[in-house]
Amino acid sequence: MLILIVLIIAIALVFKLLKKKEDKTIENLERCNNKEYIETSDELIRKEKTIKRTRYAISYTFLTILALFMILPFYWMIITALKTQAEIDLFKPTFFPKSPTFENFKYILNTKYQLAVSGSSTLRFNLWRLMFNTIVVGVFSTIGTLVTTVMAAFAFSRIKFPGRDFIFTIFLATMMIPGEMMVVSNYIIVVGRLHGLNHYWAMIVPFLISVYYIYLLRQNFRQIPDELYYAAKVDGTSNLKYLFKIMIPIATPTLITISILKLMGSWNAYVWPMMVTTVDEMRLISNGLMTAFSSSDGRANQGQQMAAATAVLIPLLLVFIFLRKYIMRGVSRSGIKG
Amino acid sequence: MDIRLVNLTKIFADKTSEVRAVDNLDIVIPSGKLIGLLGPSGCGKSTTLYMIAGLLEPTSGQIFFGEEDVTSLSAEKRGIGLVFQNYALYPHMTVKQNIMFPLQNMHLPKAEILERTQKYAKLVGIEDLLDRKPKQLSGGQQQRVAIARALVKEPKVLLLDEPLSNLDARLRLQTREEIKRIQRRTGITTIFVTHDQEEAMSISDEIVVMKTGVEQQRGKPQDVYENPVNQFVAKFLGTPPINIFTGKIENGGLYIGEEKIGESSLDDQEVTIGVRPEGFIVSDEGPLKVVIKHVEHIGRDISVVATHPNSEKETFRFIVESEIKLEEESEAHLAIKPAKCYVFDKITEERVQ
Amino acid sequence: MVEGKKGINFLKALLYLSPAIILMAIFTFYPLINTFIISFKLDYNDLTGDYSGWGFANYVKVLSSAVYKTALVNTVIIAFVSVPLSIILSLLISVALNSIKPLQKFFQTVFFLPYVTNTIAIGMVFSVMFTSADKGLINTIINSLGGQSVNWLGGNNNGITLLPNVFNPNNQVFSSQWFTSMLVLMFYIIWNSLPFKILILLSALQSIDKQYYQAAQIDGASKGRILTKITIPLLSPQIFYLLITSFIGAFKEYTSVVAIFGDQAQPVGGRHNIATVVWFIYDKMGDASIGAMGLASAGAVILFVIILVLTLFNNLVAKKKVHY
Repeated sequence: MLILIVLIIAIALVFKLLKKKEDKTIENLERCNNKEYIETSDELIRKEKTIKRTRYAISYTFLTILALFMILPFYWMIITALKTQAEIDLFKPTFFPKSPTFENFKYILNTKYQLAVSGSSTLRFNLWRLMFNTIVVGVFSTIGTLVTTVMAAFAFSRIKFPGRDFIFTIFLATMMIPGEMMVVSNYIIVVGRLHGLNHYWAMIVPFLISVYYIYLLRQNFRQIPDELYYAAKVDGTSNLKYLFKIMIPIATPTLITISILKLMGSWNAYVWPMMVTTVDEMRLISNGLMTAFSSSDGRANQGQQMAAATAVLIPLLLVFIFLRKYIMRGVSRSGIKG
Repeated sequence: MDIRLVNLTKIFADKTSEVRAVDNLDIVIPSGKLIGLLGPSGCGKSTTLYMIAGLLEPTSGQIFFGEEDVTSLSAEKRGIGLVFQNYALYPHMTVKQNIMFPLQNMHLPKAEILERTQKYAKLVGIEDLLDRKPKQLSGGQQQRVAIARALVKEPKVLLLDEPLSNLDARLRLQTREEIKRIQRRTGITTIFVTHDQEEAMSISDEIVVMKTGVEQQRGKPQDVYENPVNQFVAKFLGTPPINIFTGKIENGGLYIGEEKIGESSLDDQEVTIGVRPEGFIVSDEGPLKVVIKHVEHIGRDISVVATHPNSEKETFRFIVESEIKLEEESEAHLAIKPAKCYVFDKITEERVQ
Repeated sequence: MVEGKKGINFLKALLYLSPAIILMAIFTFYPLINTFIISFKLDYNDLTGDYSGWGFANYVKVLSSAVYKTALVNTVIIAFVSVPLSIILSLLISVALNSIKPLQKFFQTVFFLPYVTNTIAIGMVFSVMFTSADKGLINTIINSLGGQSVNWLGGNNNGITLLPNVFNPNNQVFSSQWFTSMLVLMFYIIWNSLPFKILILLSALQSIDKQYYQAAQIDGASKGRILTKITIPLLSPQIFYLLITSFIGAFKEYTSVVAIFGDQAQPVGGRHNIATVVWFIYDKMGDASIGAMGLASAGAVILFVIILVLTLFNNLVAKKKVHY
């Protein structure tokens, strides 16, 4: 709502300014045509400077307000997590915790507290176990994806074989199909036929292949000049050795990008892991968070909920701070999240 | 309207270094003339043009359009037309939309916009291409569209940034004439920037030679060619380029090496001597003894590559009439026309005679 | 390119492609076909594989179900409100970002921050911020501006409802409660989708040749005209790319709904009235009753068709409007 109001005001202001500016242009051109403008250029310059300054002011104000909106959820999450229950229950919420406390975090991080929960609801949030599960699933699916991606990208970019373009086009075409089409049958295969319920592999194997990453890496491989390959051939290098000694080192930044996006994908995975797990011990982090703090029932302890959310987000924020370059590169090439 | 640049200076600075792209430039560009700003790349000529256009703000100095100081006036208010080196035609608009764009910005009546668009499309000869997109045009056609777009608002000044550099040789010649013709027809004060001296000399009413941001010489093309003020200008103008020899002045005589080629009233000193390729006469009494390496027939004349121990480069080149017979790998004697011979200070490279 | 005998190359390629092809066959191609088939099987039992016959009954059931109708309406509203709004907003932000020099990197980082988040975690934060009780952040801001607390997510009977004349509080589905809940959801979706759009648009903006702007300046174009006549047309490939991907994304909206409204997709006192078409699919999959899997399949196929039509339509428009 607020964002809408701000947006409308901002647009109105911008348009008003532009209109004014346009009028001025006409005025100037009239002056120009009447040879008048020469007498008044001083005044014009002054006006122009004011307009320039106003425009800057508007840009910065607009950006600052929206940047605050961008950060607000993060800020509110952290300060709520640092508040005591008493402070959260205040009728007027405070924008800065009066007496910051790590009680909520201690509670979330210490698995011993699990059973000793006040009131009627039982908190079943074992952060360490959830993180461990997520990391197991994330690491194995990342390694697997890298292997399949490198192999497929190599074949698509370096080996000439009949039907190559046809197969690649079919691969690409699957990117247009919503994943929900596959999920229904995959659930039947994995849970019904292969009895994968509550197994790690059920969360890993279906995601060992990504057409988008194959596409990304193939583009990268294709940029490597053929001459390098011929030179290696002359030196008696085998295909496999060439792949490992030349192509992979050159494509390392892309592989890093793929790994980060894949790991982030596991951290955010929600729907599939929810389907193939029924016990808390096997849940991934997003599921654990969701099941422990079902948010609309109003019973959840806000401070603990926000502390848990913070704990889930911190690894992501660290990745963001240190590896932003790689993420941005991968994302700006095209747009598949996770 | 004439244009005056007063002490114009532009310094590009970043954290580590600063470059004086234009240094204390003082030029008056007379009304209605075609002026060529000439210099090697990086000499600040484009920077100067962009400052006149208002796209770059000078570090110091002033720009006057007529009597008025426009130094801080922004580009859109200066009433100038600019043709960019790469033309900068809007790729998403048709030729017609490109030409109409400046007029639409002026909020002129629709009828007038169409009329003027037609008029200028005709002037540059692209009236058949109006519905094409820039991508569908050849380089020469794009160039014309760019000129039409610059002229359509009937500016008082037309600026051209390397207008011919993106064209092939044949088109270049043709477009050169075209620009001259359009300038004559419209009588618009025109400044253009180029690194090609032939281009500048052939169409400019006046040229300004620049080097590392400093004006070297200004004048009618032929005057500058015949009377270069320093070695740089002498070297920069003329194809084939001027030949440079080391020499000296001794007892009123001008020497290349130990060979006396002329007279001088200056004090004894070491000098650099420049001789235009057309400044040599083949004559058995000629003082300069050279070895002929190569004879190229170029129609009416022959172009000869020869060596001399005091030549700055390994070989030098001179042009004489084709009746004169010269044998390759033989010796020849040359005399020098005094008018085609310039003497420069060895250190400052200023012309001394 | 590896030259050599065709047969040998084919075997080599097969070797390198085998993991990809096997995985794709099991988890992409087979399920794709299987889902199609299941969607036509009546009373399909996913444990035994039994079914009672063939037909369109699943589709009829899905399309006539009240929940699916709600879901479809919700999804369409989400797509047609959040997508244009977020694209306009990200365009404005990108243009503003591109026009400033100091702090540009800083702002860029801030606007990219929400890209790297956990949808569930931040969804919870939003539900805390928009809590209906008076002590919620947003309600406090409204209170301090002189307004009354809004019953955003239900459960606070003292909170006011927005637009009670338009959205009848007694309406089973599109109540005023639905309206405020949708507002919160929309806010979250836009917030979540801005970073990606800004990143794409900003990098496109930065790669536009500066000469076009200089030319426009020489041509006397005002800032407004530069934006509408130069910048936006030159960005049109990216804008259309975002339009397609965001529309698809909006039609697949699910996790953000669950994050704020729980896995029943309802505000307090509601009945699945924030459902989306994807939520419907997953809800049916979680349903153990016989035939539910067939309904889920039918729902997935319908989604597939919707997305296919959208993509084709977008491509058709793009051919006409987008400058490449």
